[in-house]
Amino acid sequence: MALAQVCGLNEFSLSSQGPKTFRDESISIDDAVFASENFTIPTQFDPVENLKQFTSPESDVKIQFDHGTTTLAFKFQNGVVVAVDSRATAGPYIASQTVKKVIEINPYLLGTMAGGAADCSYWERVLAKQCRVYELRNKERISVAAASKLLANIVYNYKGMGLSMGTMICGWDKRGPGLYYVDSDGERLTNNIFSVGSGSVYAYGVLDSGYRWDLTTEEALDLGQRAIYHATHRDAYSGGVVNLYHMKETGWEFISRTDVLDLHYKYQDEKKK
Amino acid sequence: MAIAGEDFSVIASDTRLSQGFSIHSRDLPKTYKLSNSTVLGACGFHGDVLTLTKVINARLKIYENEHHKKMSTTAIAAMLSTMLYYRRFFPYYVYNIVAGLDDEGKGCVFSFDPVGSYERESYRAGGSASSMLQPLLDNQIGFKNQQGVERLPLSKDKVVNLVKDVFISASERDIYTGDGIIINIITKDGVQEERFPLRRD
Amino acid sequence: MEYNGAAIIAMKGKNCVAIAADRRFGVQAQTVGTNFQKIFEMGPRLFIGLPGLATDVQTVFGPYFVEPVIAGLDPKTFEPFVASMDLIGCPMVPDDFVVSGTCSEQMYGMCESLWEPDLEPDDLFETISQALLNAVDRDAVSGWGAVVYVMISLKFLTKKKTRYKRH
Repeated sequence: MALAQVCGLNEFSLSSQGPKTFRDESISIDDAVFASENFTIPTQFDPVENLKQFTSPESDVKIQFDHGTTTLAFKFQNGVVVAVDSRATAGPYIASQTVKKVIEINPYLLGTMAGGAADCSYWERVLAKQCRVYELRNKERISVAAASKLLANIVYNYKGMGLSMGTMICGWDKRGPGLYYVDSDGERLTNNIFSVGSGSVYAYGVLDSGYRWDLTTEEALDLGQRAIYHATHRDAYSGGVVNLYHMKETGWEFISRTDVLDLHYKYQDEKKK
Repeated sequence: MAIAGEDFSVIASDTRLSQGFSIHSRDLPKTYKLSNSTVLGACGFHGDVLTLTKVINARLKIYENEHHKKMSTTAIAAMLSTMLYYRRFFPYYVYNIVAGLDDEGKGCVFSFDPVGSYERESYRAGGSASSMLQPLLDNQIGFKNQQGVERLPLSKDKVVNLVKDVFISASERDIYTGDGIIINIITKDGVQEERFPLRRD
Repeated sequence: MEYNGAAIIAMKGKNCVAIAADRRFGVQAQTVGTNFQKIFEMGPRLFIGLPGLATDVQTVFGPYFVEPVIAGLDPKTFEPFVASMDLIGCPMVPDDFVVSGTCSEQMYGMCESLWEPDLEPDDLFETISQALLNAVDRDAVSGWGAVVYVMISLKFLTKKKTRYKRH
């Protein structure tokens, strides 16, 4: 197995002992890890060391990674609000102002993108596939907890190999609104408010001052949009447009896509009143 | 660089291949025709570009034989994304742009990072002079920082002229850009090629 | 240079010269101010722009980590003059435009396409503003609007334009 080779393990140390369990989760992870056969890597090779060559500032052969970001999500009485910016930077150069940082996994699950853009979009697509397989096997939707754990376990298998991902998995299941933070170190947390990315410190400031569980839907959406706007204002590596989603009992709904320049003038006018 | 129009798209590259301060070739286009409605622009490490285009063409043939139809531009873009990601731990050092017509016949441009993150856009500049070209495209095609301007759909001639202009500017300031450009115009009738000389110093 | 971030352009026109700068003051990613002065009036028909380490822009002791841009009209002949320097003072005096700052590649790309010889003051103003604004929109560490000065021979006149940009 390619992964085993990279980790410097021989074939026997990874082979499972005893009969294979048929718990759904382990199958799903096996499936995903099996997909690593597709990854091409030379033998006796350390991907982290190799990548350092290309990502160090002295190198003239540079590989761009989507770095600066502000993403946030919070639970409230009527569901989950998800708001993100849309800027991708390579050093100080703005590579794109129109990145879609909310990944639509399925009608009841959303994932956000921070860190490596390719890492997030690829693994959340793998997650989408596994969630669909789960549905077909079990004749019911996967819970947010299970979906996020699946993702956390998959990326944990690649720990130490240089993946970079900080994502929030938001959804609605039997237990109501669900919100989990998952990152490439294998961390998985649940809470009412999360914000990820270089602008998150500013977003947290706005969120904490305006957050209540019993916000109306309108207030909650405005708070999400405002928090991203203020983050883009102070953080050079966040900007572009604010994409806003609302997760409801009936699945997610795309609310709006607003240029931060328009928001700037809107909030400025509000101050004058 | 590539630009998408209403029912066409244009992708152009210069024809210089260089390493450091020396020029290896003055006539090497970095655009590769994949089908009658799709052209790939690839720059970066040329060895990786050659391997990548070889593998893509093989995959396209396999698809064609299995499904008895040509692969669409959107499908090629999705395939390229996973192909690049499978080399996540030992990446192809290639920046890709895919231009063509989508399933509805509209012009489309997809830009990629070396490990397969991609996005559909209406215009994109890639390569060593991308940071010089991109702001001009923002201004001229995205109408950024222009107020009270009517956003007319772009005509093919205007796009081709703009492409020539921006490459002339880039060759003035970027030593890796020069010699000539190849402009590929993709319409429902196929791919049309146009050449244009640039400064050769 | 990238610690604070800045973008400055100076351009020649027909019997006129213009200089423009962005307004951001930031410490790496964090934006601290949005109306920072980077262009200084050194005399009649003479301005200098100082992109670089903000503390050096504001002090009088060297060594300075700034790459100055100079724009002005000759006091006697009213001949337009633009020049730029590196941080140890090697001057460069071209006959079209000079750029300096964190997004110099973007500015070169814009100026090289938009600039043409013998621009009238109004056209020069629009050209330099468009060049600067679109360049800083592709740079994370500069921006927040622009300040533009246009100097015209014979009668002294400066125009100032400010505009908020995307963040």
